Amino acid sequence: MLKSLIYIFCFLFLGELIHYFLAIPIAGNIIGMLLIFLALFFKIIKLEDVKPASDFLVKYLVVFFIPYGVGLMVYANIIAAYWIPVSVAVILSTLLSIYVTGAIYQKLDKK
Amino acid sequence: MKAFFALPIFGVTLTLMAYFLSGKLKEKFDFVIFNRVLVSAILIIAVLFIFNIDFETYNNGAKYISFFLGPSVVALGVFLYEKLEEVKRDLKIFLISVFVGGIVGIISVVLFLVLLNAPEIISRSLAAKSVTTPIAIEITKITEGIPEITAGIVIITGILGNAFGPVVLHKLGVKNKKAVGTALGTGAHGIGTARAFEISASAGTYSGLAMCFNGIITALLAPYILAWLLSFTQ
Repeated sequence: MLKSLIYIFCFLFLGELIHYFLAIPIAGNIIGMLLIFLALFFKIIKLEDVKPASDFLVKYLVVFFIPYGVGLMVYANIIAAYWIPVSVAVILSTLLSIYVTGAIYQKLDKK
Repeated sequence: MKAFFALPIFGVTLTLMAYFLSGKLKEKFDFVIFNRVLVSAILIIAVLFIFNIDFETYNNGAKYISFFLGPSVVALGVFLYEKLEEVKRDLKIFLISVFVGGIVGIISVVLFLVLLNAPEIISRSLAAKSVTTPIAIEITKITEGIPEITAGIVIITGILGNAFGPVVLHKLGVKNKKAVGTALGTGAHGIGTARAFEISASAGTYSGLAMCFNGIITALLAPYILAWLLSFTQ
C-alpha cells in the first residue's frame, strides 16, 4: 500500500513540476494521470505496484470533493441570482452531449 | 468556541461522518437525489449553520480531505489503463463518440450561458460541467472560474444525466447498450456511470472509460474553446 501510494504521489509531483515549469494550461494532476497511464502502457511500471493505493483512492473519490460541495454555500447567492440561465444551459447541454455521443456511437457501431 | 471548530480534526471528522451517514441513507432510500456528495454536503452545511461556523473555519480541516483529489485523479489513470483492454475492439468508434460528445458539451453550455447573458465568471466555472468533479475542479482553476460552483453544478449535471439520460436516449432511438454507456459517461461522469452499471456491466465499463476520456479531452481543450467563445462577447 505504502509503495503504491509513493508511486502515485511521485507521478503527481512530476505532473505538478511539469505544470509549474512549462506553464501549460493543464493541471498538474491531469498531467500526472496521463504520465502514469503512459508508464503503465509502455511497461515502465507494473500494475501491481500502483494498484492498491489507486483502487483505494478511486473507491473513495467522492469523499474528497465533499468540501467543494460544501463550499458552494459561499457562492449560493451567485447561483441564485442567475438560476434561470444556469438551469437552461446545464439541462440542455447535458442532454445534448449525452444524445450526440450515444447517436454517433450507435451509428458507427452498425457498420 | 470558534477556535475549537477551527481545529483540523473538526472539519475532517464532520466530513467523514456526513459521508458515512449518507451511505446509511442511501441504503434506505435508493433515489438518485440521495446522491452521497449532495446529502453529505447538505448535512455539513446544516451543522455549520446550526453552530454558526463559517466555511473557512470548517475548511481548516476539510482541506486535508480535498488534498486527496490530486492523487485520486492520478489514480484514474491507473483505472483507465486497467479498463482499456475491455473496449479495445471498439476503440475507434468509442474515441470518436466521446471526443465529439465531449466537445458538444463544452461548446453548448458556454454558448447557452452567453446567449442568456450570464456573467463570464459562470461560463468560466461551467465549461467543464460534464466531467468528473476532481478533474472539473482543476480545469476551473485553469479557466479562472470558481471551483466551488463547478463542484455543485457538476453533481447536478450527473444527477440529471442519471435520471433523464436513459429515457431521452431511448425516446430518440439510441438503444445500443454500449452507446448508452458511452453517452452517460461522457455527459454525466461518475453519477451517469452508476446508472450505466444498472443497465449492464459492459455499459458500465464503457461509461467509466468515457468518463476518463472526456476528462482528458475536456482538460486539454476546454481552456482554448472557452477563450475562443468568450472572445466573441467582447
